[in-house]
Amino acid sequence: MRGNDVILENLSMRFGDFVAVQPTDLKINAGEFFSILGPSGCGKTTILRMISGFLSPSQGRVIIGDKDMSGIRANARPTALIFQNLALFPLMSVRDNIAFGLEARGIGKKARQDKAQELLSLVALDGHGDKLPTALSGGQRQRVAIARALAVEPSVLLLDEPLSALDLKLRQHMRAELKELQRKTGVTFIYITHDQGEALTMSDRVAVMNKGVVEQVANSDEIYANPATPFVASFVGEQNVFKGKVVAKENGYAILETPLGKMLGQNTQGLNQGDDAILFVRPERLSLQEKPGQQNSLSATLERRDLEGPFVNLHMRAGEHPIAIHITNVDQTHQSLGTEQKLWFAAQDAVVMRPGELASE
Amino acid sequence: MNSLIKSYGKGLTALFVGLTVVWIAALIVLPQISMVDRAFTYEDRGGAAATLSLEIDRAYQEVFQISTSLDDLRAEKEALSSGGSAASQQESVSALDPFATPAPTPSQGVNMLDPFAAPSASGSSNRTAAQIEADEAPLIAKKSELEAKIVTLEAKEKASTDTVGLDTSYSLKNFTEMSSVHLQVFLSTMIYALCVTVMAFALCYPVAYAVATATSKNKIAILMLGLLIPYAINELLRIFAWVMILEKNGVLNAVLDMFGIIDLQVGEGFRFVASNGAVFTVMVYAYVLFMVFPIYNTIDTLDKNQIEAAKDLGASTFRIHWRVVLPHAKPGIAVGAIMTFMLSAGSIAVPEIVGRGLHPDWFSQVIYRRFFEADSWNQGAAYSLTLLLACVVFILFNMAVFRVGIRDIAK
Repeated sequence: MRGNDVILENLSMRFGDFVAVQPTDLKINAGEFFSILGPSGCGKTTILRMISGFLSPSQGRVIIGDKDMSGIRANARPTALIFQNLALFPLMSVRDNIAFGLEARGIGKKARQDKAQELLSLVALDGHGDKLPTALSGGQRQRVAIARALAVEPSVLLLDEPLSALDLKLRQHMRAELKELQRKTGVTFIYITHDQGEALTMSDRVAVMNKGVVEQVANSDEIYANPATPFVASFVGEQNVFKGKVVAKENGYAILETPLGKMLGQNTQGLNQGDDAILFVRPERLSLQEKPGQQNSLSATLERRDLEGPFVNLHMRAGEHPIAIHITNVDQTHQSLGTEQKLWFAAQDAVVMRPGELASE
Repeated sequence: MNSLIKSYGKGLTALFVGLTVVWIAALIVLPQISMVDRAFTYEDRGGAAATLSLEIDRAYQEVFQISTSLDDLRAEKEALSSGGSAASQQESVSALDPFATPAPTPSQGVNMLDPFAAPSASGSSNRTAAQIEADEAPLIAKKSELEAKIVTLEAKEKASTDTVGLDTSYSLKNFTEMSSVHLQVFLSTMIYALCVTVMAFALCYPVAYAVATATSKNKIAILMLGLLIPYAINELLRIFAWVMILEKNGVLNAVLDMFGIIDLQVGEGFRFVASNGAVFTVMVYAYVLFMVFPIYNTIDTLDKNQIEAAKDLGASTFRIHWRVVLPHAKPGIAVGAIMTFMLSAGSIAVPEIVGRGLHPDWFSQVIYRRFFEADSWNQGAAYSLTLLLACVVFILFNMAVFRVGIRDIAK
């Protein structure tokens, strides 16, 4: 099996007056694990359906491996789709499910069975071939769906939130499995999800979408560390958000006047004095330290403490402004509720951006 | 039962159960038992006892006719004695004749049943009265002869067997003595009903699939209305509507005439009615709804992603239906087929109205005639039972073929 690259050229989709996908250009590399991340209704599934051929784009085209897919129907494209609910055929055995694509291609029974057996081994389901899908567990069904899709040797595998029905433990386990399968097979994976954890852990690259627009395409680290827009910043991971006005800028940094005092952060978008701005700082970048005389010092009251296990969420309040802090479980100090504490963050850990839409919680 | 009591209370539950028992007993079990009993009861219409009882019946009938004639004669005599005109007597005598002539039969007897017979023997001096007397005498003699015969016959009947009337006994003869014509009608009805079922399925499956997979709400509503509106009309009216279409001077021939294919003016025109095709068409139309809805219901529950998944895996339209949609719709198809088959096998209105006796008989028509024309209820019951059994066999066969259980059908 070999992956192919997928190129979206000026691709857009409208349903009546509603624009589901704004004109989009995107290149997904051969053999890449590519995720499209966004809230529900952002158009990510529409893009997937246009790539798979179930929807014809209003405009633009999909090119898979140098071949224009316009006018080619879903059943003739080199793609295979894994549905959110898996859509396994409940009345066929696991083996017949996996062999269905081969059967549809008119491949002989013996060859089908061999291939199905091979795939059963690939997804570690030897011995389950004669069962009905309903007799399997959630994770096993998941693997059947993947095997069924891989049986037709697609060059692009499209996955539509396939892990969303699984419980947390299994989901985390399946992430590793999917990644491993992708590496083993070399097929291009296009993975649709609203779960940033899935996108960040598995993907080579992630596209973050909102309201039909791809806001940023980058690898996981880049997305997390250097979000391009307020939406990406607030959608991926948690953020403390401070709104204010730029009062000064120097050496790539900007000083913001906020209700909580002056704050300093990286001026990546080149804002000028007098511009409205938002400053983002991640909860784990805040520390319970007192740095007298330094900028970006705050004082806040601890209102709630949530133990997540490896780390602790502290919910604090500075005046009316809620502030979230993550600290690791090893350095728990000064955590009595109701006490006023000093906080501080480094200027290079904060990003100043032009105001824009934030992801709603 | 407990859940019923919990949700409705003891009183209502008792009412429900009571009504259900009454319903099952009075409307299902008892009529069925009576029918089965009749079906297995054989009336021997050719045996010695039957001949005997027929003879007795016939004798009684003759006695009755003779006594009415005697009554008439006596009335005439009384009219004479009170001074009636000769013309009127003459008239009444000649009017009597047709009644009197069938009376003289080989057997003769004494009428013990007629109290007026004895006084009528007293004579009258009138010429016409004498004539009447002459008519009366042989009648009275015949009557007493007949009555004597009835006594001996009844004694004979009593001696030979204790049963009165026809010789009835439990046997399979009502079934085994089905004439070859009736058997042929039965078999062809089964085949016809099967044809109707297959045609209804061929018509309904695409429709049901289209409705079930329609995405727009309006489209579904329109399709549903289109299916339901014809069924707001009485079945007979729907059948007659088809007669209007298929009649020789009907709509279909008029349309053909319009296109110049035939010329109604010179009497051309197809006789569409009273053909297999017409009966099948009307029947499919009459029962199509019973096929559409079960199939629609099952396809509606199919996860549409499965259709897309199959398509995505490269399956052709045929394969999608053969491997994904049809297997899922099996219970619905089974239910639809059973209902359509039973309705069409038992249909009487369609073959009667559309067939006009020119179309080969439907078995239900034979049953009707057994009951109400041949006056052979036992044979009619046996034929009905045969039809019922054939339908049950069809149901079981269907369940085996589609591999569905009662539970799936109930769904």
